[in-house]
Amino acid sequence: MNGFGYNIEALNAVLAEVIEGSISPVAWAWFKQVDTNNTTAFYGAFAMMPRKTGKAVIDISAEQKDILNTIRPGFTIDNWATDRLCRVWLLIQPDIDKGKYFRQIENLFTTGEMKELVALYSALPVLPYPELWVKRCAEGIRSNIGLVLEAIMYRNPYPAERLDEGAWNQLIMKALFTDKQMHLITGLDERNNPELVCILIDFAKERWAAGRTVDPALWDIAAKFTEAGLLNEMKQGHWESAGAI
Amino acid sequence: MCCSLNIEDRQVPAGKPEAFDISAVKGMKFFDPHVHMTSRTTDDYQAMADAGVVALIEPAFWLGQPRTGVDSFKDYYSSLVGWERFRSSQFGIKHYCTIGLNSREANNEALAEQVMEVLPLFIYKDGVVGIGEIGFDDQTAAEDKYYRAQLELAKEAGLPVQIHTPHRDKKRGTQRSMDIAIEHGLDPYMVIIDHNNEETVKEVLDRGFWAAFTIYPFTKMGNQRMVEIVKQYGSERIMINSAADWGISDPLAVPKTAALMKLNGISEKDIELVTYSNAITAFSQSGQIDEADFAVSVDQSAKFEGNTVLRGGQQPRIDKSSIIIS
Repeated sequence: MNGFGYNIEALNAVLAEVIEGSISPVAWAWFKQVDTNNTTAFYGAFAMMPRKTGKAVIDISAEQKDILNTIRPGFTIDNWATDRLCRVWLLIQPDIDKGKYFRQIENLFTTGEMKELVALYSALPVLPYPELWVKRCAEGIRSNIGLVLEAIMYRNPYPAERLDEGAWNQLIMKALFTDKQMHLITGLDERNNPELVCILIDFAKERWAAGRTVDPALWDIAAKFTEAGLLNEMKQGHWESAGAI
Repeated sequence: MCCSLNIEDRQVPAGKPEAFDISAVKGMKFFDPHVHMTSRTTDDYQAMADAGVVALIEPAFWLGQPRTGVDSFKDYYSSLVGWERFRSSQFGIKHYCTIGLNSREANNEALAEQVMEVLPLFIYKDGVVGIGEIGFDDQTAAEDKYYRAQLELAKEAGLPVQIHTPHRDKKRGTQRSMDIAIEHGLDPYMVIIDHNNEETVKEVLDRGFWAAFTIYPFTKMGNQRMVEIVKQYGSERIMINSAADWGISDPLAVPKTAALMKLNGISEKDIELVTYSNAITAFSQSGQIDEADFAVSVDQSAKFEGNTVLRGGQQPRIDKSSIIIS
């Protein structure tokens, strides 16, 4: 299958090495014999992954991390559970035509169990045909399942690379709204924009009016497009002198 | 699936009720193997967690009115393994489910055929501990057909079966459900017969099936009667559940009944078996239940950056007794 924007053979090789080092020989033998071009076998393996591979945290060396980041910049699998990594790897194995592949992946998304969804969204940066998954990524941001949001937001380079400004701004707002750790969002600084800062300041003011606090990370993002003096006034709740009322 | 009576028909018994004193069973863990959480509020989750419920099973069932398309079923099954599972995790309760086509909706054959086609997509998913709740409602030919088809599916997948027994013609319906399960070659030890009462329990146990009792006001078992059942039949292969749903029901039925058993001198070992371990023994034949997962802090995959705080955030508590909402 073509359509990968990176060296798929190299990625396959390093992920196979990590997986083999993280699961039992029995599980590895099972994994290798799955016929990923057969739809039923592919769906079945995806669903059954945790009961075959277990859920322990993967073993990965610093060297393997570096190699991964060279092959697919920004893609990290640190602290992943084995079933998550194995599912992501499975998703990039089928060698079938583009239309069929898209339908299969979409079907997995629409019937996904909680951790299946985590694996699916984690796989966005390494799936082939990256242009196909933009809407799906934006849809994922509408989820209210914390784990799913984190799979999209934390250390995932896909959203920053592919989302349009509206969807990106929605991701940042949703992250703030759901108390996510903002520093784990890939592309937070690169994708910052004046419209986003307007939205954030409006949010901060609403929170202030309600007597609630905001994550200080909000001000760090706002600082890029806001004059320092004004920002200080707003931080202290002096909205009138900041001219924002 | 419950509720065949109208609310207006119900007579609330007179007399002052005894207060539920959780201290009788403080520190005990409970497993509710039949409760429809999609119909319940977050207050219920909170109360269940406070009362010691550490895990539960949500069987797929009828939603109170019939569905008209297969996608409604698909979305419902997805929510059982997705959104509802997450909602439960926020209260520290491990959520499992059983997946199946319920008996009422088996009567829409055109739709039932389509539902049977999507079931294999869900039954192998993580945390799906059985096929359920299936069985008879009206005992029609269509119900018989899809009950049998799903028994075959359970056999193929190596999953336990959770069987709903009918309100009307209950005794014969229960016997027939067991006869058919045996006819299809299922091991009775893989089959949980639900909604038992004094009339059905003996035969269910004698034939080697698991006997589940639903503690549900007005239409099913009361827990005083349940205490008598355990006194008479012991604790082997007996389990209790709340089957709490969109009707007047009680998500604390399991801990409350445990407390009542304690007050009535039933041994702690027997209480533990009927309110926790037996259900785990029966449903863990699916290979999908690991008691280590009940405590969220020991779930490795729930850790992040070495932090044991539940990913996605534990729900904050609010003071319900206060007039102030902030």
